[in-house]
Amino acid sequence: MVLSFFKKNDSGLELISHRTIKMLADARHSFDLASAAVLSGADYDSVAEDIRVTDDHINKTEQDLRGDLVTHIAVHGGTDIGVVLSYTLLIKKIERIGDQAKNILDLAEEGVSFVGEDDVAELIEVRRAISAMFAEAADLMAENTSEQAQDFYDRATELRRSIEGKIRDFMHSDQPGVYAVPRAVLYRYWKRIVSNIAGVVTGVAEPLQNLGYLDDGQTDIDD
Amino acid sequence: MSERLKYQMPTPLRASIVFGLIYTFLVGVSSLESGIKVMGADTQESLFSSVSNPVAGLFIGILGTVLVQSSSASTSVIVGLVGTGALGVGDAVPMIMGANIGTTVTNTLVALAHMRQSEEFKRAFSAATVHDFFNLMAVSIILPIELATNVLSNSAEKISERLVGSAGSEWKSPIKKWVKEPVSWLKDLGDSIGASGNLLGTLLVAIGLVIILISLAFITKNMRKLVADRIEASLNKVLGKGAGTVAMLLGLIITISVQSSSITTSIMIPLAAAGVVSLRNIYPVTLGANVGTTITALLAALATSRPEALTVAIVHTLFNVGGIGLLYPMPYVRDIPIRLAENLAKIAINRRVAAVVYVIVVFIVVPLLGVAILR
Repeated sequence: MVLSFFKKNDSGLELISHRTIKMLADARHSFDLASAAVLSGADYDSVAEDIRVTDDHINKTEQDLRGDLVTHIAVHGGTDIGVVLSYTLLIKKIERIGDQAKNILDLAEEGVSFVGEDDVAELIEVRRAISAMFAEAADLMAENTSEQAQDFYDRATELRRSIEGKIRDFMHSDQPGVYAVPRAVLYRYWKRIVSNIAGVVTGVAEPLQNLGYLDDGQTDIDD
Repeated sequence: MSERLKYQMPTPLRASIVFGLIYTFLVGVSSLESGIKVMGADTQESLFSSVSNPVAGLFIGILGTVLVQSSSASTSVIVGLVGTGALGVGDAVPMIMGANIGTTVTNTLVALAHMRQSEEFKRAFSAATVHDFFNLMAVSIILPIELATNVLSNSAEKISERLVGSAGSEWKSPIKKWVKEPVSWLKDLGDSIGASGNLLGTLLVAIGLVIILISLAFITKNMRKLVADRIEASLNKVLGKGAGTVAMLLGLIITISVQSSSITTSIMIPLAAAGVVSLRNIYPVTLGANVGTTITALLAALATSRPEALTVAIVHTLFNVGGIGLLYPMPYVRDIPIRLAENLAKIAINRRVAAVVYVIVVFIVVPLLGVAILR
């Protein structure tokens, strides 16, 4: 272990960035599995175990990364304090995505399934769009380009607004509760996940004070 | 993350600067040695008569190190002085041990910055003072043994005799040859402004001290930048997985790399404060740092021409290795500094002023009184 001192390593922040991207991939895995449980009829028990293990891994990575960030500041001094604080916020967002995937799984545990429903194709399409956002967010974190981050953020905002519209529709729907409520809840969790992925990307590009806020600091977009 | 536009000096250039600084540091040690030699025998005797009492020597070592905030600097000066023949090995040994105590003040001062948050301060202060207590314990056990038996100085003398020759002889250090020329320029500079005798000696000593302090500060700064990523990666790998010998080796390697135990031990304080690393994991790192810091005095000895200088530098290493050998293997004894540090931290979080009083009393008042009474 101590010989690692003499090996050529990536810089501390590069290592932290790599681990954060892996954490995001884990969060996507949980999201895909949990969504599959309600949309494609995937076996609950096997999905639940996989999500539990992945979530434990996400949580452990978050804790390790916090330690790594403190070590980075202790060794390098305050130069990277802005980056370190941004990472602290964005790893929390990724950890929340893991929790929200578990919330979606809870729907499956309650017997919610959209398999064979009239709107399942639309739901699968939204799930696909969100899942693709994870990969794009990971690329943006690695590439570190603020223009693409802004473009991504704009598209995420559009998707989030469309999801909000769906939630509103179901809240005022004449459909029975057993139809409207699971959809409203699922869309609610997806909205949170989209907000958190957008937050991860803004962590890359936005000034620290603006992270997690829209409208010049008026609205908290994450939860 | 956000694009950083910081200028990063190329590694080969920074490494070359470090080599240049090490050379400058050795010139400083040699200038100090030459300055003392230029002074008359009476002046030399009056300068060093106060350290003939070992306890006074110990306190001078503490005070000198607290003043320059670097045991690497103070021990290098002591080695340089021994290299002149004006300071004997017997007088230098307690000073070296004092330097070991004095150097622990730096991370304790760093810990005081966490005073506003109780739990954070408790962790930071105990992580800092475990180093103090270990070194105080080591000195209080080993110094009397050394005074009674000369076990350290005799062992060190045997080692240096094998390496460079017996005490009293002149050692033809190759490094001494390399630094001879710049020191003669300094002498010529002194001559050109009409300085001679004690004045020229004082001038050379002052220039030597300034060169030693400045070059060591810049060596540390540049080496820290050169190896920061390696330090970060190894700390993350080693400290998260436990403590013990591996952590001790890490403390040793980091300290040798940055030429400063204060840097190594001070890096640990924010980690302890944040709860990232436990007191038990930090403890062996500080002990490794104790040993690692002795490399600078060994380096300084290469710029002198007396085997005694190397003997004192080796005593420094043996003292720190011996301290670990005596206090670390037995779990009960090993835990004494931890318990003392934890108890002091408990007192300090209830009465913050106690922490400040502790620093002032241990590192300033007691050594000052000791020197005033015993010299």
